[in-house]
Amino acid sequence: MSRQRSIEKIQASDYVSIGELARLTGCRYSTLKFYTEEGMLPFEQPEENLTRRFPREEAVARLQEIQRLKAQGLSIPEIKALLETKGFHPEEF
Amino acid sequence: MKELTFAQQFALIALNAQDSLHMTTVKKIAVRCMAAAAILEWAMEEDGLQSEFSTVSKQDVENAAAFPHRQEVFRALLKKKGAVQMPLPELLARVTHFSRRTLKKIEHAFSDPLKGMDLLEEIPNLLGCDMDYDSASVTMREYRSDPATYTRLTEGMRADVLEDGEMADETVMLLWLLRESSCIYDFFSKEERKRVGQRMAELHRANRLAKMLFAVDIHSSLEIAVKNFLRSKKEVMETPTGIGLDFVFPFLERSQSVFIDIEAWFENKEQRLQDVEARLTKYGHQYTVLRRGAVPLIQIDNVLYEAVPTIRQLKVPVQGMRLRKYPL
Repeated sequence: MSRQRSIEKIQASDYVSIGELARLTGCRYSTLKFYTEEGMLPFEQPEENLTRRFPREEAVARLQEIQRLKAQGLSIPEIKALLETKGFHPEEF
Repeated sequence: MKELTFAQQFALIALNAQDSLHMTTVKKIAVRCMAAAAILEWAMEEDGLQSEFSTVSKQDVENAAAFPHRQEVFRALLKKKGAVQMPLPELLARVTHFSRRTLKKIEHAFSDPLKGMDLLEEIPNLLGCDMDYDSASVTMREYRSDPATYTRLTEGMRADVLEDGEMADETVMLLWLLRESSCIYDFFSKEERKRVGQRMAELHRANRLAKMLFAVDIHSSLEIAVKNFLRSKKEVMETPTGIGLDFVFPFLERSQSVFIDIEAWFENKEQRLQDVEARLTKYGHQYTVLRRGAVPLIQIDNVLYEAVPTIRQLKVPVQGMRLRKYPL
């Protein structure tokens, strides 16, 4: 038996699940999954079978950055390359 | 994002795009499930999800003053009795016997506070954009949930269901409500539904709440049959630009197939889209063009539609765009 966390608690926590990230940002699940698999979003996965958890502040800031670049007309490969030149390396997480 | 109770969250999902003036069969199914959501929300707060018996009394009606939807559901359960005591599954099954009049009261107990919070509004029905309705000035209205909140709720739920890991009680309850309201098709694609089926089977084996809930049926078979018939009609026919019998015989279910007459010739796809946008704007619909081209994909009031160029054969052929609900 486990209860869903309130928005207030999610906003105060260091790590969030992908569902909580969707609730926080309003991004589509498929979009978040795509960004995660493309290595554009930072996440931790303690063991292979355990669920991914996202560092809230970094992940939300990263999503805002991606949306800003998309609004400027950049393609996903261009955004990915730009994030890497800015020093974002998902393997560090 | 405003903090909503579990039942209010479900109501925002269930009421979106429903006829706000009439108690249609599809809306009856939705409101019954909203009533069940109110019972579950109360049981969860009282730590009664696993109790052998649940007791609703007049005291509970008074205690729920801050939640009009709960009060209305309790009144419907109590009728003239001072208290009712029964296992939670039986209490949930009571919603199938609620009358049309009771359902209407429950609907308003949910919709009025949500409107007050600016999370739900009544807008002209999309069908009002159809050439026949537009020219006849027929008024039809429907509910629209706040798009940002709706997306947060539905996408959060999709992620919780489709990802591995433990499911929260709220997600288990939501999954059951979606099954009972026959809405799983609205949120999960054909491929995703296989995963949903696996998750539900896993839950049924390992989760006590799921085991108890999944055995409860609160739908009316006749109502679900009507809803499924309307959906199956869409799946009968497949064409390169869309699927569904509506595509060939659009008069069968008009709400799924809206014809917008246009002035531009077929060669000019940009002008065609502009005409559609102008009609949507005229009736106050919120829309986003997700894909341009010969068959644009448009999100209108939280629902995806394809705009297919077509001709209606009247005395004089009329060119237009047919908005068809986009199958997931």
